[in-house]
Amino acid sequence: MKKIILIFFFASTCLHGRAQSITDSIQVLDEIVLSDSKLIHYASGVNQSVLNDSILKNNSRSLTSLLAFNSNLYFKENGYGMVSSPSFRGTNASQTAVIWNGININSQLNGQADFNTLSSSNFNSISIRSGGGSVQYGSGAIGGSIHLNNKLAFNTHFENTVEASYGSFNTKQTGFKSSFGTNLFSVNFGLFYVDSDNDYKFLGTNKVNENGAFENLNLNVNLGYFISKNDVLKLYSQSYIGEREFSGTLVAPARSKYEDENYRNMLEWVRISGMFNSSLKAGHLQEVFKYFENKNTDNYTFGKVNTYFINHSLNVRLSEKLQFKTILDYNSYEGAGSSFGNPKRDAFSTTILLNHKVTEKLSYGLNLRKDFTSGFESPFVYSLDAAYQVTDTYKILMNGSKNYRVPTFNDLYWNPGGNLDLVPESSYQLDFGQQLHFEYFNFKLNGYYIHTEDLIQWTPNNSGVWSPKNVTESQSYGAELEMESYYRVKAHQFKFNAHYSYTVSENMETKKQLIYVPFHKANTSFSYGHKKFNMYYQHMYNGEVSIIGSTLTGYNVGNMGLGYSLNENGHINYEINFKINNLYNTYYENVALRPMPNRNYQIQTIIKF
Amino acid sequence: MKMNKFTLLALAIGLIFTSCTNDDDPVDEIKGVYDNGMLIVNEGNFFQGNASVSYVSNDYSVVENNIFNNVNSRLLGDTAQSIAFTDELAYIVVNVSQKIEVVDRYSFTSIATIDAGLTNPRYMAFANGKGYVTDWGDGGSALDDVVAVIDLATNTVESSISVGEGPEQILAKNGKLYVSHKGGWSTNNIVSVIDAATKTVQTITVNDVPDEMVFNQAGELVVLCEGATQYDANWNPTGHTDGSLVRINVANNSIVSTLIFNNGIYPSLMAYADGKLYYQAGSKIYTINDAATSLPTESIINDSFYGLAVNDNMLYGTKTDFTAGTGDLLIYDLSSKSLTTTKSLKVGAAKIYFN
Repeated sequence: MKKIILIFFFASTCLHGRAQSITDSIQVLDEIVLSDSKLIHYASGVNQSVLNDSILKNNSRSLTSLLAFNSNLYFKENGYGMVSSPSFRGTNASQTAVIWNGININSQLNGQADFNTLSSSNFNSISIRSGGGSVQYGSGAIGGSIHLNNKLAFNTHFENTVEASYGSFNTKQTGFKSSFGTNLFSVNFGLFYVDSDNDYKFLGTNKVNENGAFENLNLNVNLGYFISKNDVLKLYSQSYIGEREFSGTLVAPARSKYEDENYRNMLEWVRISGMFNSSLKAGHLQEVFKYFENKNTDNYTFGKVNTYFINHSLNVRLSEKLQFKTILDYNSYEGAGSSFGNPKRDAFSTTILLNHKVTEKLSYGLNLRKDFTSGFESPFVYSLDAAYQVTDTYKILMNGSKNYRVPTFNDLYWNPGGNLDLVPESSYQLDFGQQLHFEYFNFKLNGYYIHTEDLIQWTPNNSGVWSPKNVTESQSYGAELEMESYYRVKAHQFKFNAHYSYTVSENMETKKQLIYVPFHKANTSFSYGHKKFNMYYQHMYNGEVSIIGSTLTGYNVGNMGLGYSLNENGHINYEINFKINNLYNTYYENVALRPMPNRNYQIQTIIKF
Repeated sequence: MKMNKFTLLALAIGLIFTSCTNDDDPVDEIKGVYDNGMLIVNEGNFFQGNASVSYVSNDYSVVENNIFNNVNSRLLGDTAQSIAFTDELAYIVVNVSQKIEVVDRYSFTSIATIDAGLTNPRYMAFANGKGYVTDWGDGGSALDDVVAVIDLATNTVESSISVGEGPEQILAKNGKLYVSHKGGWSTNNIVSVIDAATKTVQTITVNDVPDEMVFNQAGELVVLCEGATQYDANWNPTGHTDGSLVRINVANNSIVSTLIFNNGIYPSLMAYADGKLYYQAGSKIYTINDAATSLPTESIINDSFYGLAVNDNMLYGTKTDFTAGTGDLLIYDLSSKSLTTTKSLKVGAAKIYFN
């Protein structure tokens, strides 16, 4: 750790000197600031919600809580702090792609991203892209995708933030962020550490969450440097190191422990030259886990995957109105683990994206992709999207897409049970959206239909061995509503947002709602600020869900927070925040027999300089 | 369902009354609402806490699911594995909950819970005035497997006897305990013979993955070995070891005969009634006599189950769909070899016991 920090400071001082000599008349383009400009430029008819700094700041550092309370995403969390998987539109966690700076980071082992291994603290913006996105983001982008972005700011600045908090269940969180930039150089650094006994009481019982302690560290370093007027080199790096005890249930005591690590490193070279933007990325992802059946012994099972990738994209802007992008992408995956030997997989894909602004009001996109994956045939996927600005305030969006998900290493190679005859899940989707934008009020309504076939499902065979098969066909349809409002009277600021989703997701054969898909989910937050004072209240309703052979009751949970800033205009700015989670001390289970925390408190200080 | 239980109870009380007034006319006393029927263990889904026990009356007219929960107003637990019986009590071994629920076998009223000192309990038997529970310890460790000794008066684990990897089923006879070592998370190929009084352990080597055991009418211990799939270092299947039916002379622990199944056929379930052994292999049910020197080639029923029992010329098989969350009891008449009735149970419907 110390080494990394040292290298970072050394690099920043060296490069600082050269900064002034090169021209500063550089157009700051999305290609430079972001690593994933297609998120903005090739998604005319796709609904996206962006959670920016102000929402990220006020909310929990847990990405699970943040998104559960501020989006239409539904989370399945195996007890607080344990494995947490997102889903939307009635799909499952492995049909929800998680994209870090443009790169799909779903696990190659189970196909999912665990949201309790990602801290919201170290990202500048989080975008939620509803609906199919396999053309742009590959396997797993069926229900939608969640984008974690780090921005590089090429302007002169030097900002630091230190935060520390303490809360119930002996929960300690510490963070440090630093951002430095000139017109040629930009770096940001983020470190976040959390440690919790997490031994909350199971309300209405004499039990506590006995085996639930966790600690983890997230480290992000992002660098950008103009090597010439037209060339930028960027480095993105993220690490996670975590250790968790795995909570038991109300009827199953636990003694296991899980250690996992994720390392993501990517180097990008962007060249901007007239109508051409070229981006070449190369990187390495590593995921490693160790599972200790009994935390008091040294016996463990493990799994590990190394992913090496190289990706080139070329954006051609033919005119102000017409542009296209070609992407060539190569990924090589190498796995190793206690239960699956040393499997390898290579995947190559070729993509073309086109965006055309026909008039001021009408634009559309056409996108095509073909994957070539060792071991099986991946489908040819495509999408078409369009947006029409009917009036100044009213906009219509439409898109249709074909999407897919390849079987994971676990599906193919897990022993016993792995099935090499699996084919990718394939899905098509239609989406229609309407948006109203007023000065103080925004409103979005989306309706969709998803049909998925060859769903991979693990079922036991006659000898009791669980094995995955392409068995099921499912369909989902529903509506999503988003509202936000902002109002200011003198020094009083009011903010309001609300989300509601209605989701039907059923097995085509049985016509039954899939397990762990709520028909209804809603949330709302309200915040008020006056000079140095701010407060918020947020509320979530998670409707009843089906579970195997039964149902799990819905629940309402509310959180509130108060904050006060000191020395707001000075060089050093202090903030103190107080939060109450589960305000009404509600007993609730997000996953059956795994009670969630009772009312709990947190006090946080933030110092900015 | 509840109605039926009360009707039965009323009937039972009626019968007791009747029997009291007619001393010279002996009538079988009904010992509780769950007498004269089958108790079926529904394992439930792993880590979903939905294990249960179902009751089906001998005439199949009464089916009551979730009887433990109905009587005691609490969940049974996670992944029920088996039930062992004394004259009065039923001991329900709940694997993932790491406990044994002790109930009155006829009323299902909870008597005690043994939840300390067990890690991965599987099956239970009684000998020497004590209970003996097979326990894998940690699934990933081959060195911590035991037979836990239960003090039946206090319902606590009083000691443990170290045995080889993956002790599974356990039978008691003449002060000896016979344990099949299926192998837990791994595979094994032994039967342990434990002297209950001295706790000394002997082993008999059989074929791979011995699981189900019965004593036949000749007094031999019959062990069904499932055989195992073999893998290379990369977990690619390379072949199978043979499944077998092994008969053991318990007087000297010697193997009387070993009938080998065709390579790649995994026999799994076994039941015994009226001098005939029934087993499942290759998704079919076969029967064999005690003295047979070769395995039959003709099946009697072309169906396969998750649990199997035979009684009074009727064959009972359970089936379950872990994904859909359903379980069923199928009842075949062995004379006509045809399905007579199907009853709806709960997810993970497995072992069948006659109460």
